[in-house]
Amino acid sequence: MNRILYIIFTFLFFSILVWGCNPAPVTHPDLIEYPPLKFSLPQPEKIKLNNGITLYVMEDHELPLLNISAVIRTGSIYDPAGKEGLADITGNVMRIGGTAHLTGSTIDSELDYMAATISFSMDKEQGTATLSVLKKDMEKGLKIFSDIIINPVFEKTKLDLAKELKIEALKRIYDNPQQLAFREFVRLIYRGNPRGCLPSVESIERMTRADLVRFHKNFFFPQNIMMAVTGDITKDEAVSLINRYFGEWNVTGSVAAVPVPERSSERSINYASKDSPQSIIIVGYVTPGKRNPDYYSFEILDFILGSGGFRSRIVSEVRTNLGLAYSAGSFYSTQSEYGVFAAYAMTKTSSTVQTLSAIRSILHDAIKTKVTKEELAWAKKSINNNFIFSFSSVGKVALQQMMLEYQKLPEDFLTSFQDRINGVTSEDLQRVAERYITDRYETIFVLGNEKEFDKPLVTLGKVHKVSIDK
Amino acid sequence: MKYRFTKNTMRFYGHTISIVIKCLVIIISCTTLASIAYAYDLEKTVQKFTLHNGLTVLILERHVSPTVSCYIRYRVGAVDEDSKHTGTAHFLEHMLFKGTKTIGTNNFAEETKILKKLHAVINSLDTEMKKGERGNKRKIEELNHQRKSLEHESRKFIVENEIDRLYTENGGAAMNASTGYDVTTYHVNLPSNKIELWARIESDRMHNPVFREFYSERNVVIEERRQSVEARPDRKLMEQFLATAFLVHHYRRPILGWASDMPFLNIDYMKYFFKTYHAPNNTVIAIVGDVSTGNIMNIIEKYFGDISPQKIPFTHLSEEPEQNGERRIELVSDANPRMIIGYHKPTIPSYDDYVFDTLDTILSHGRTSRLYRTLVQEKGVAQSVDTGNGYPAARYPNLFVISAAPRFPHTNKELEDAIYEEIETLKNKPVSREELTKAKNQIKADFLRGLSSNSDIASTLSYFEAIAGDYRYITNQIKIIDTITAEDIRRTVNKYLTPENRTVAILVQRVNMNMKQ
Repeated sequence: MNRILYIIFTFLFFSILVWGCNPAPVTHPDLIEYPPLKFSLPQPEKIKLNNGITLYVMEDHELPLLNISAVIRTGSIYDPAGKEGLADITGNVMRIGGTAHLTGSTIDSELDYMAATISFSMDKEQGTATLSVLKKDMEKGLKIFSDIIINPVFEKTKLDLAKELKIEALKRIYDNPQQLAFREFVRLIYRGNPRGCLPSVESIERMTRADLVRFHKNFFFPQNIMMAVTGDITKDEAVSLINRYFGEWNVTGSVAAVPVPERSSERSINYASKDSPQSIIIVGYVTPGKRNPDYYSFEILDFILGSGGFRSRIVSEVRTNLGLAYSAGSFYSTQSEYGVFAAYAMTKTSSTVQTLSAIRSILHDAIKTKVTKEELAWAKKSINNNFIFSFSSVGKVALQQMMLEYQKLPEDFLTSFQDRINGVTSEDLQRVAERYITDRYETIFVLGNEKEFDKPLVTLGKVHKVSIDK
Repeated sequence: MKYRFTKNTMRFYGHTISIVIKCLVIIISCTTLASIAYAYDLEKTVQKFTLHNGLTVLILERHVSPTVSCYIRYRVGAVDEDSKHTGTAHFLEHMLFKGTKTIGTNNFAEETKILKKLHAVINSLDTEMKKGERGNKRKIEELNHQRKSLEHESRKFIVENEIDRLYTENGGAAMNASTGYDVTTYHVNLPSNKIELWARIESDRMHNPVFREFYSERNVVIEERRQSVEARPDRKLMEQFLATAFLVHHYRRPILGWASDMPFLNIDYMKYFFKTYHAPNNTVIAIVGDVSTGNIMNIIEKYFGDISPQKIPFTHLSEEPEQNGERRIELVSDANPRMIIGYHKPTIPSYDDYVFDTLDTILSHGRTSRLYRTLVQEKGVAQSVDTGNGYPAARYPNLFVISAAPRFPHTNKELEDAIYEEIETLKNKPVSREELTKAKNQIKADFLRGLSSNSDIASTLSYFEAIAGDYRYITNQIKIIDTITAEDIRRTVNKYLTPENRTVAILVQRVNMNMKQ
């Protein structure tokens, strides 16, 4: 049954006061009239297989391709203490380490010859496996895909290779200041929680094949997997195809929840030394997740503060007005139960504390003063007009729907999104700012060369020195 | 080479040389796809128009979602700059976000008077600053004071970041711009009912830009260089590699500009550069998405039709002389070792360039590609290895590049030797039929996957129309790629991948210096 959802996007005019005092020879862009945007959102079909695998299927006959995105309820939050990085290595070696029927090298050859791709990635809260294959090769592609998911054997040579590559990659993080800074920030913002326990050379070296086998057994079972299937295939074909290659898979299991991160109990200023001409500054907070009613207010707050392009406050002040950074802004990254909001900037060493102070005063200002009506209207309009891009391809639509279920969000999460954004008031913004981004929940991290800073960091408070192993 | 943080982190108004390489890899051959060609037979579905002022427009209707991707490519880039003004093309790209006579101001008549004074002060200030130690400190202080007060005065009339505000507020996504050696690009994806907004903004900045906030933006691009080159040993290595591989051709310069040129990037030269090259007859537009061609052409004619064409000067660029011996440089830093090896070669539409596309795939596309399999998997000497054809750009003869990083405890030297060993094998033993077919399959499939988004299609169409003079370049390759043989590969490797024709740049880690890898 195909449920078609009709959403009509309309353009709301509001005049910009600053313009208009000087008549221009051509229509000002704010006065252009646009036709309404008509959009019917096709819904993927949801099918539950007998063994518990959930499918979201959507036909897309534009190109002769089949794409599958599988999401597995696992992730690096399940890395055992002392074996951080296990989820990542397990996913990686599933892909390259062969199956009960095929060696890893044979799989590589077959996939490359078909120009098909299979990839595994492990995030904090989810594992993802994808297959992209030409329609004519879909049986072959799916056979390998299912074999890898169900019967990986983790060949020793491939495990050794994966470990070596990971260890070298860890060493090389130091060469990229941005990657290094954001990794250290993650460690700090999630301290005391599995999300802040990150792989090290030692934790990777400790890993054995038995660890990978156990990890696979714990998390790869039908009830723990959902798949979004899109492409040049009918729904019935898709169901029978997935049934053919996954239908006989009948193992069970259960996955325990991991406690969500807590907000820090006191403000912390952290510094790590790196001999670099530029400092990286990050100011972060643990914030509400998607299931929290404050989520919508926080989306708007983040937009106004630093993620809404050049008009957002941090970009406008730190980049445009002060010329202190090329990259500056904020992000609000959310799971269903929690989120992280952070403001950041990269600036020359001699303007480090000036930039950090500018960012903090913008954040504090959100607590002290209400945003203006115009700013709020701009943010709502921007977010709601951009919403259409969540549905710009069939693949995206199917994935979105699947992720709603994965994240245990209400079914109307997407369809009610715009109304909820519209319902946010400037009082709400001030309230959430006060609740979540006050000093005592603040984690500051600065990576740079303190000897050359404009002022010592300690002028802002007690500084905790973070040591980074090269 | 493009990097991103988490969602919505930022927009990089940056130089993106990697785009060029990606585009070059998307070369089509689709004999096996003939039966299903209706969906992506570009020559039948793309419509091409030329306005009377020379503006080229490509339109592809694609009614997948109510969105549209708009690309504008100006056939101008860093190669077109005069030598003491390196970085102008890229800085100009930033300045074109500052608005126009009717966007970004509340009183242009008053604003322009102040801007005139301000720009004169900045010029005088630059002249004094260029003297370095011999500069008159008091004069500098006085000029800086004047600059600040004029900037303060001009702010009354500036409505800052209006272009960004308009696009963002109307739902714009992936709004960005990039400057390359050959082309400068502005793109945005919009809800398809907002196409007129795009035409209004882009036509206006094609002939009425106002370079406000010049001084602070110049500091932003200097900060951009600090972020993407000075703080990144791998990028610094690339910069020095290009300056070594090219002795005279302008591909030797950094797109962002040399560090010593950037603080003096000049507004008068920028205005000249803009007027000369940002003309409709030097421009390609590609619109892909949920649009009707007739309607779009009416809008484009309305907004762009009256812009006058310019006489584009034919720039004679010094040609790169033939390389007759290996060039080698080292960069010492605290970063882990890595290397870049490059070979001079002809550019499109030379037959050999397509052979290099195929070779590129054979060497580094996928886990069973030659270099990945032998260097990463079997010998274990490499952490990573990649190749790229058409570096750093494609309007002029360019390079085939191999970049690689050794895996501890292996050294740069061991890795470099292992790479040459693979090249020698290719010189002596033809690639198997299976290996060649695999490469062709991969190129075809990549092409196909590149047709699954409006912006990828718009990017590819506009790029080849601008560079090759005809977007059909990508479809014309069917025959050429299909005729490429194992012997072509062997011949090409023998002809170009020689020690005399190579440049090697090595990143040496400071702690290991005594070991001299």
